[in-house]
Amino acid sequence: MDITEDFVAKGLARAQYITNQRVTTAVFLALALEKPVLIEGPAGAGKTEVAKAIAAMLPTELVRLQCYEGLDEARALYEWNYQKQLLRMQADEAQGARWQDLSEHIFSHEYLLERPLLKAITSPRRVVLLIDEIDKADEEFEAFLLEMLSDFQVSIPELGTMRAHERPVVVLTSNRAREISEALRRRCLHLFIDFPGIEQERKIIALKVPDLDERLAAEAARFVAAVRKLGLRKPPSIAETLDWCRALVRLEIKELDSDAIRTALGVLLKYEDDRARVESKASSLAARQP
Amino acid sequence: MTSLRDQIIALIAALRAQRVRISVAESIDAMRAVAAAGFGRDSMREALAAALVKDEADRPAFDEAFMRFFAAPPSGPIRGAHPKHRGQLDSAAGGRGRPGEHPSQTTTPRGKPQPERAGTKSAPRDQHARGDSGGRERTDEETRPRGGDVQSQESSAQAPPAENHGAAEIGIEAGRAARIRTIERTPFAAYTELEYEQARDALAILKRRFRARLGRRLKIAAAGRIDFRRTIRAATQHGGVLTDLRFRARRPRHIDLTILADISGSVRYAAELMLELIAGARENFHRVRSFVYIDRLAEAGFEGRHLITETALDPFGRSDFGRVLGEAWDRRAELFGRQTVVVILGDGRNNRRPARADLLREIARHCRAVLWLNPEDPARWGTGDSAIAQYTKEVRAHVAAGNLRELERGLLEVA
Repeated sequence: MDITEDFVAKGLARAQYITNQRVTTAVFLALALEKPVLIEGPAGAGKTEVAKAIAAMLPTELVRLQCYEGLDEARALYEWNYQKQLLRMQADEAQGARWQDLSEHIFSHEYLLERPLLKAITSPRRVVLLIDEIDKADEEFEAFLLEMLSDFQVSIPELGTMRAHERPVVVLTSNRAREISEALRRRCLHLFIDFPGIEQERKIIALKVPDLDERLAAEAARFVAAVRKLGLRKPPSIAETLDWCRALVRLEIKELDSDAIRTALGVLLKYEDDRARVESKASSLAARQP
Repeated sequence: MTSLRDQIIALIAALRAQRVRISVAESIDAMRAVAAAGFGRDSMREALAAALVKDEADRPAFDEAFMRFFAAPPSGPIRGAHPKHRGQLDSAAGGRGRPGEHPSQTTTPRGKPQPERAGTKSAPRDQHARGDSGGRERTDEETRPRGGDVQSQESSAQAPPAENHGAAEIGIEAGRAARIRTIERTPFAAYTELEYEQARDALAILKRRFRARLGRRLKIAAAGRIDFRRTIRAATQHGGVLTDLRFRARRPRHIDLTILADISGSVRYAAELMLELIAGARENFHRVRSFVYIDRLAEAGFEGRHLITETALDPFGRSDFGRVLGEAWDRRAELFGRQTVVVILGDGRNNRRPARADLLREIARHCRAVLWLNPEDPARWGTGDSAIAQYTKEVRAHVAAGNLRELERGLLEVA
């Protein structure tokens, strides 16, 4: 498949992902140079969606590895299925099998539990590997990942080395709970996804909540952008904006005045102090709408 | 295409001069990225950014440099900088981004009076940058705050969005990230009330981050002793074979924190910011006692955003840490214990009064650890009336805390 920037732009659009030049170029380079791409940005700006959009665009499977504290190789790469091995051993013992035959059995693919990383490597075709929230994983895991990302091969002592047939498209996301090491940054392309601008968000709303009146959609986009500028504890994400717009549709709100804003604010803001802050400014935020 | 390659190399050199860390591998990536993305101006800019800029806070500096190098169509001659680039025009056009070129050095972007030594100090550093191709120089900078930092950081962080032709405007979060990083790297020594206010604003976010990072360090994954009961229970599933070992979670560590912070003129900003940072992570500790001192000790707390001391301190007093140590030692029963980590912030300048390092040794013997954070430039440690050399011997760690970033990193050492 010939990958061009145009192909990526169209593909992302087809996957219903509205975006800008920055994301398009970065995704294109990730595919063209076969390099992992590290996506950073505020929570809820669409980092994970990029990976899903790439998978939909190619189209291929998305293999997702959700990182968390204490994530280790057994959970990320592979693990032997102990229970099944034990059962096998007990069954064979009853028949008087020798250890030699036994070990051949129990260390075969049948008893291997493939975790996301191994799955991405052994997959016969090119997949999208999403390593989500890498900042949540420990530093040791990050170091382990470095090795993985450079060679795309895994050694399992009992089975030998497995190499990727097709290098997966690797997408890492981070919320910066911890600084990602320089070494990992160096190996990745970098993409920062910020909250969308007003115009871009209006397009997203129009696409995902088609029932919402066009004028109201524009006002909603403007309102959300203004709310994000307030420096809240948790600025509204795109998903929350969309939920809020759906709520506006269901509440049959026609005019985005201060009362309307107060009614459905719980959909948009999840902290009481954020909410109080926006409510106190609701009239001025509403008045700002032309 | 040699000219384009040279131009990209020059661009990379210019970015390195602005302390954007770029490795050789990354510059090769940049070449490949441009080759793949083509020479459309927008594509090329984003391709270079994806390969070279690994931290969003560096992005304004990149956009500014890109503007300078690729103002004209890439194949044509470079035609200087954008007229809006104020005083930078001359050096930018003349230099065309020679490696180590530092246009902002000659001007003060905000027209703000710069500390005298900023200009003089930055000159040798610039030469250093010119010779450096490994991009290692930033690490050097981070550990050693200098006057010159303020200037270049300012210019990189405040490239106004209006100048980014066609570039996506700097987003809300990106702008915030850039501002925070600028203030994080500004040495306390160069603070005025303006910087202090900026730091207080940034602290709202830094506090959250500090609390999260500290929490991570305090929490130890469950890998202590084997939990016999749960292991046996798990084994019953596998016919009594102990395949699955279960561990007892370690008890979370208790830390009592006793803070002694110098709030005399020279290190006042650092002290107040540190106390506020710790106050934000209060629940990570078992107990926190905060004291400030000049020549006497006074317990301190926050009321709203204001630092309140229990007894008034004479703001014109002269620092006397020896006496303060004596006062703290008299209250040792309540302040120091085996769980206590003592954090001292100060420059150890005692105005030639007795240092009483012997008391500090006694305190260190009673406590789990004593940590000394020093906001002073390491080059000046131990000079003049500084008694820091005597104190250093008695503490577990003596860390430079010349700016917010170093301060946060130093404070994480308590865990």
